[in-house]
Amino acid sequence: MAYVRKQNKGETPKLDMTPMIDVVFQLLIFFIVTIKQEDILSKLSAARPAADPRARKENQPELITIQVAPQGFILNGRPVSLVELDRRIKRYADLSKTAMIVIKCTADSPHAFLVQSLDICNKNGMTNLSIFSI
Amino acid sequence: MHKRRHSSTETCDVDMTPMIDVVFQLIIFFVVTLKMTSDRNEEIMLEDGKHGVTLTQDNMPPTTLEIELARGGRISIHNATLSKYQLQQILKARVNRNGNEFPVLIRADRKTAHEKVREVMDICTGVGIWKLSFVAIQEHKAGKK
Repeated sequence: MAYVRKQNKGETPKLDMTPMIDVVFQLLIFFIVTIKQEDILSKLSAARPAADPRARKENQPELITIQVAPQGFILNGRPVSLVELDRRIKRYADLSKTAMIVIKCTADSPHAFLVQSLDICNKNGMTNLSIFSI
Repeated sequence: MHKRRHSSTETCDVDMTPMIDVVFQLIIFFVVTLKMTSDRNEEIMLEDGKHGVTLTQDNMPPTTLEIELARGGRISIHNATLSKYQLQQILKARVNRNGNEFPVLIRADRKTAHEKVREVMDICTGVGIWKLSFVAIQEHKAGKK
């Protein structure tokens, strides 16, 4: 009697788990295929001063002007490449991180150039950024 | 002998209920979650900005307003197209309620002409928001382009 009962008990947990495992694997594969990883985003902050002509007259001595044109960047009146802009901004940053940088964008310049110049300023730790549209 | 036959019939009628349960759970899960992907404009291609402040849930309070600007100049919030006047009215209402210190993110396509960005920025400054942020990609995780 005792022997028979024991054998019965040992048999019942041997239910077929295969379909459930199949489903779980399907589920897993579906997730691996469909889950789209999101890009990690960053934000580049800048001030947008009022278009007040009186405010612009008081020119600060430490004023760095980056002009963003459709062809590229012009730093303090001289055309520069992205790498050179980075190098020169780094030199300014070594002197003072709080110097004011004015980014002047022309109407037809692509937004990518503005983001690139803001990124370079952020890279070198410059915080006093403002954007003008010309 | 009799015992063995009995056990073989038992394995045949396996309970299908757990499998059906799992499948239903699966269907419910997809119905609930897959809806949430389309609440922003997916056609906007962002420029790289590796050195900016990383956007996380912590530095994006619920008051954050994200303005989307597609390549052609279409302005939208959560992929709902807005006219310039509507954007101005929304910003005005937000400034009246929360003050002008809430974060404003501009999610503009990398090829948008600056004059379009300028229009959005002018609307922001027009209602008294001076601090603006631009969204860029810090690290590509999704397939590039």
